[in-house]
Amino acid sequence: MDLKQLRQKAAADFKGKGFPSTKEELWRFIDVSPVAKGDFSADWKPADVAFQPLDKITVVFENGKLSREKSSFDDLPEGLCIGSVLDLVDPRLGTLADSQSAFVASNTAFFEDGIFIEATNGIQIETPIHLVFLADNDGSAIHVRNFISCGEGAKLTVIEEYIGQPETTYWSNSVTEVFVANDGEVDHYKVQRESASAYHFQTIEAQIGAKAVFSNHTLNLGSVLGRNDMRGKLIGEGGEAICNGLNLLNDRQVFDTHLFMDHAVPKCNSHELYKGILDEKARSVFCGRILVQQDAQETDAVQNSKNLLLSRTAKVNSMPQLEIYADDVKCTHGATVGQLDPQALYYLQTRGIDPRMGHAMLTFAFANEVLDEVKCKAAKSYIEGFVHAWLDKVS
Amino acid sequence: MALLEIKDLHASVAGKSILKGINLTINPGEVHAIMGPNGSGKSTLSNVLAGNEAYEKTAGQILLDGKDVDDLDAHERARAGMFLAFQYPVEIPGISNMYFLKAAVNAVREHQGKEQLDAMEFLDYVEEKKKVMNIRGDLLERAVNAGFSGGEKKRNEIFQMAMLEPRIGILDETDSGLDIDALRIVSDGVNALRNTERGFLVITHYQRLLEYIVPDFVHVLVNGQIVKSGGKELALELESEGYESWAAAEV
Repeated sequence: MDLKQLRQKAAADFKGKGFPSTKEELWRFIDVSPVAKGDFSADWKPADVAFQPLDKITVVFENGKLSREKSSFDDLPEGLCIGSVLDLVDPRLGTLADSQSAFVASNTAFFEDGIFIEATNGIQIETPIHLVFLADNDGSAIHVRNFISCGEGAKLTVIEEYIGQPETTYWSNSVTEVFVANDGEVDHYKVQRESASAYHFQTIEAQIGAKAVFSNHTLNLGSVLGRNDMRGKLIGEGGEAICNGLNLLNDRQVFDTHLFMDHAVPKCNSHELYKGILDEKARSVFCGRILVQQDAQETDAVQNSKNLLLSRTAKVNSMPQLEIYADDVKCTHGATVGQLDPQALYYLQTRGIDPRMGHAMLTFAFANEVLDEVKCKAAKSYIEGFVHAWLDKVS
Repeated sequence: MALLEIKDLHASVAGKSILKGINLTINPGEVHAIMGPNGSGKSTLSNVLAGNEAYEKTAGQILLDGKDVDDLDAHERARAGMFLAFQYPVEIPGISNMYFLKAAVNAVREHQGKEQLDAMEFLDYVEEKKKVMNIRGDLLERAVNAGFSGGEKKRNEIFQMAMLEPRIGILDETDSGLDIDALRIVSDGVNALRNTERGFLVITHYQRLLEYIVPDFVHVLVNGQIVKSGGKELALELESEGYESWAAAEV
């Protein structure tokens, strides 16, 4: 199926299915009717939103379209290819993500641009590739389609950052497909700081080969209503997936994280830690499903969801799920929802640290655990900066 | 002037009266030990002194360097020079010991009107204090007490005390859960911090700790009251006779 056929099929799927309702199991905790009923037909315009390049390779999208002017990726190392997904079409596009949901289907049908990244076999790229998606187009739909391919034994670090102009309302609907070949390593980050009036939906699909490593660290700060579908498929022995996420939500923000990890073959590891800190009337949903197929012996899978509520009106729905068809596996999961430990606050106080600072320290400590496994130092300090700023705001 | 004066101290926990009139004066440079059986009020005393809000002081006075600490919260008492080494130090994953100590040291320095230490100055200060305690570098990089052994936790308490240089160190059953080697290391650390200005209140169930940290005075706490005070030989007396005779005498 070529791209044109793929898009026609997706358009038909989208038309047939329509947006999901809360009657569907996978969507029962968020009501997407503001997106379904909204008018997102505004014409494209360039974006005027500030951003900060992290390193030498920065690719900027303005309201969904690649801006050569604002980007800098001319002088690339050999073996690394970066460009628009419209110019560099790979036959694998759409093979991981096609029409799982109305959101993926509409993205496939309507995407107008996106990134294409390919590292050829054995090419290890240390410089993080910073993708900046700027949005300030009121009443628009932004469908970005990203394609990342990491060759055998290659290494890539990719940071997707979504930045919205405050108080603009738009629908951001991204899909990222990641292929990690045998012995490859993709270190993937997502920093979501869309406008607090925006709707943000993204599906990330990763296919992980033998002895390959895929890691994703996600920070969600923005959007009034959002959802992240993180889906991994381990298809080669010895593969590893690490998916960690942190949601910092306040006001009436609603954010839904759906995680699906598919262990199709033996001897793979996956571990996931998703944390939320919620204030005011914010609500967070976590649904994590680990599937261990019959052949996937010696699977090692750990999944945890931990949440901290800073107000009595914040709410969490957490549903870790294990579905195991193999008999020789090590799988655990856990979910907690709570407040700061008063004994820990007292301990800090007895060392001269006042309750306000103690509160901030313990809240940061709670969040910081998610960043423990971050390998890219630039990404870590960048993300930590947003965590500190958010905590200062709510304290 | 007395360093710490406790006058007719009464305290209760969850409505239950625990301390029933404690009187104790610690002068600069003195080490006092409080010994008592389980349930005598030892931990209540240390928590009331440190300002734990879960413990209610119902009567009496606590004076630190002549000033009533009644209106001071736990962090203000710490800044004024009160240090409590916990019986069960709290684990705080996600905060490194270094970060925690820097925040604590600078909070105390700010109170004392001293300049804040920057990262380099703080590291120098840490190195200086590491010589006092037998502390491995990696203990300081790890999260506060998280996954520490019992000995490491207690050593970390004493190291914190060394860093904060308090007026008075209150050791709440610091010996509990320690083997002989750890006990010696912790005691060496405490002894290194003894000087003519600083006071210590060593709270313990057993006499053993007092072989290493030799007190100037020993007090026996039974049923919320000090029933006998004496020199260090009183500890040995207790060791051979036990607490029963005191408890019986009190009733």
